[in-house]
Amino acid sequence: MMHQTIRGGGIEAIDDPYLSLRDINKRYGMVEVIPNLNLEVRKGELIALLGPSGCGKTTTLRMIAGLISPTSGTIAVGGRDVTHIAPHGRDMGLVFQSYALFPHMTVAGNVAFGLEMRGLPRAEIAAKVGKALDMVQLGHLSGRKPRELSGGQQQRVALARALVIEPSILLLDEPLSNLDAKLRDEMRAQIRDIQQALGITTVFVTHDQVEALSMCDRIVVMKGGFIEQVGTPHDIYEHPVTPFVASFVGRTNRIKGIGGQDGSIRIGSSTIRAAAPAQKGDVTVMVRPHRVHIDWDLAAAERQTHAANRIPAALFRITFVGDVIQYHFSIDGSEFIVEEATVRSQAGRRPGQTAMLSWSIEDTSVFGAGS
Amino acid sequence: MTVAALDLPIAAPKSSSRAGIATVLLLPIALVNAIGFLLPVLNLAKMSFNEALAGGGIGEAFTTANWTGLLQDQFYLELLVNSVTVSLGITIATLLASYPIALYLHRASGMWRTFLTVLVISPLMTSAVVRTYGWIALLAEQGPVANVIAAMGFQPPRMMFNTTGVVIGLTEILMPYMILSLMAGFGRLDPKIEEAAQTLGATPFKTFWRIVLPLTLPGIALGCLLCFVLAISSFITPKLMGGGRVFLLATEIYDQAIVTLNWPLAATLSMLVLIIFGLALAVYSRVLQMIDQG
Repeated sequence: MMHQTIRGGGIEAIDDPYLSLRDINKRYGMVEVIPNLNLEVRKGELIALLGPSGCGKTTTLRMIAGLISPTSGTIAVGGRDVTHIAPHGRDMGLVFQSYALFPHMTVAGNVAFGLEMRGLPRAEIAAKVGKALDMVQLGHLSGRKPRELSGGQQQRVALARALVIEPSILLLDEPLSNLDAKLRDEMRAQIRDIQQALGITTVFVTHDQVEALSMCDRIVVMKGGFIEQVGTPHDIYEHPVTPFVASFVGRTNRIKGIGGQDGSIRIGSSTIRAAAPAQKGDVTVMVRPHRVHIDWDLAAAERQTHAANRIPAALFRITFVGDVIQYHFSIDGSEFIVEEATVRSQAGRRPGQTAMLSWSIEDTSVFGAGS
Repeated sequence: MTVAALDLPIAAPKSSSRAGIATVLLLPIALVNAIGFLLPVLNLAKMSFNEALAGGGIGEAFTTANWTGLLQDQFYLELLVNSVTVSLGITIATLLASYPIALYLHRASGMWRTFLTVLVISPLMTSAVVRTYGWIALLAEQGPVANVIAAMGFQPPRMMFNTTGVVIGLTEILMPYMILSLMAGFGRLDPKIEEAAQTLGATPFKTFWRIVLPLTLPGIALGCLLCFVLAISSFITPKLMGGGRVFLLATEIYDQAIVTLNWPLAATLSMLVLIIFGLALAVYSRVLQMIDQG
């Protein structure tokens, strides 16, 4: 299986990696949190570490920052081995999930701290702090204390504080998870804009697939300390290499089938094909709900002969979500959801109707049954 | 507060039954405080303006002689300065000895933390008299501490029946109070904040100096206030470990009240201690204000 070769091996050869993690292993006593991780990040790239809690993404980030040491393996930045360098010597900007602002200092004091530690002259510090605060639109609040700011403002102070030191790498640990939905959307765009403007290499830890897909150049999907897949948002979404990636990034239908000699898949009395030939025996087929077309006129659908997967299915439930409507069909005993943008004519559909579902072969992923 | 609660039903008799219940609940403690604390203190204040008669009598006539005598007598001025400096010294020694322990306890977690906290508090379950005698045994002229110092080839200093002994004994006795106060004031100290400082380039020392220390100031202020007050009013340890050679306010009050039977002078000295408490509290609240603004 494809992800087996990814696990533990070099993932994707990059010619000139800026940040590279080689054979990283981290264990706490008997517990192996990260068995063997290899990752390379290009200069100026925004890369997401995406996965559910406990997948090792935050541990990986903290190892890059130097806050914890790997049990074995090396971390290099710009060709320099930093594995054994203390965090204060690493020159990395870290934005914490809880922001971790210094409560006894003003906004300006917080942002100035890193520059003071570098021994910059007072005037230069003041100029840089002013510029950094303007960048996050907080110049007018420089005299405030963190507790006098809203969550979104604190988050921007944390970002300015990490960026003002012009770090070699910016590390973001779930920076948006404590914000409300609307603010999160704004900050997503703002972080991406700043990252692009500064061209700063950024590692972004998140459990939110939308953040990862919308902000990042590449996504590293992690699970249980292993890297499941590394790729562009498009790759990850369209060509998931493991069932976990397929179901964790975006939503997907799962149906069971049987792989035949010629790579086709039997589901009930229908035969379909997937983007890649299926292995023989039990397989799991995955299709995204909004990539499926519904033909309510069965007779007309039968006459069509274009190369697509077609399965007749019975509608048993309709969920109206507002901008989309979800049709719950039953295929060979399993639930299969199809999503359509809402239009007025949908009002007449009733559970019990039968329809022909069709979707393209490219939109069909197939995995071995064990997965 | 007590007075306000007592006044409430009179000011607003029909306000609600809550005020009535509050009064009933507060009345016992208000009475105990009034009879057990307020009245004696007022009595002491009055007595400090009474004449001391020979043979332990207390004259009814009003006089400021106790106060003027106190302020003019070189011995009492020295006693005052000595008490304050020794107490400050004890407070600083207690702080230095307790701070690392409190910081470690703050960072410990789970059963280990519970165990260590119990360990820190456990000396409080033993009487200060017993603990003082323990120190007397340890610090005595031929005691284990002196023997260890002698074995290392040094001349052991006198550690008993002088100020050194009092400072050592009281420092150890006050440490649990200091550690608990420090831990109570460490609430703002978040490991993530220290990590943030490190990633911004702060060395461990700079992190401590610029982040940890300022954030723990409320705990330091509270612990120092408490230990200073306890040190200056301590009696048993200075009495036993000072061997009658260390003169502090509390021991002098005891001598004046019990040995010399000069109750008006003892009352005057007691009022002086109360004034020092008041000053310490004022300094404490000023420091807290500064921390809050700074």
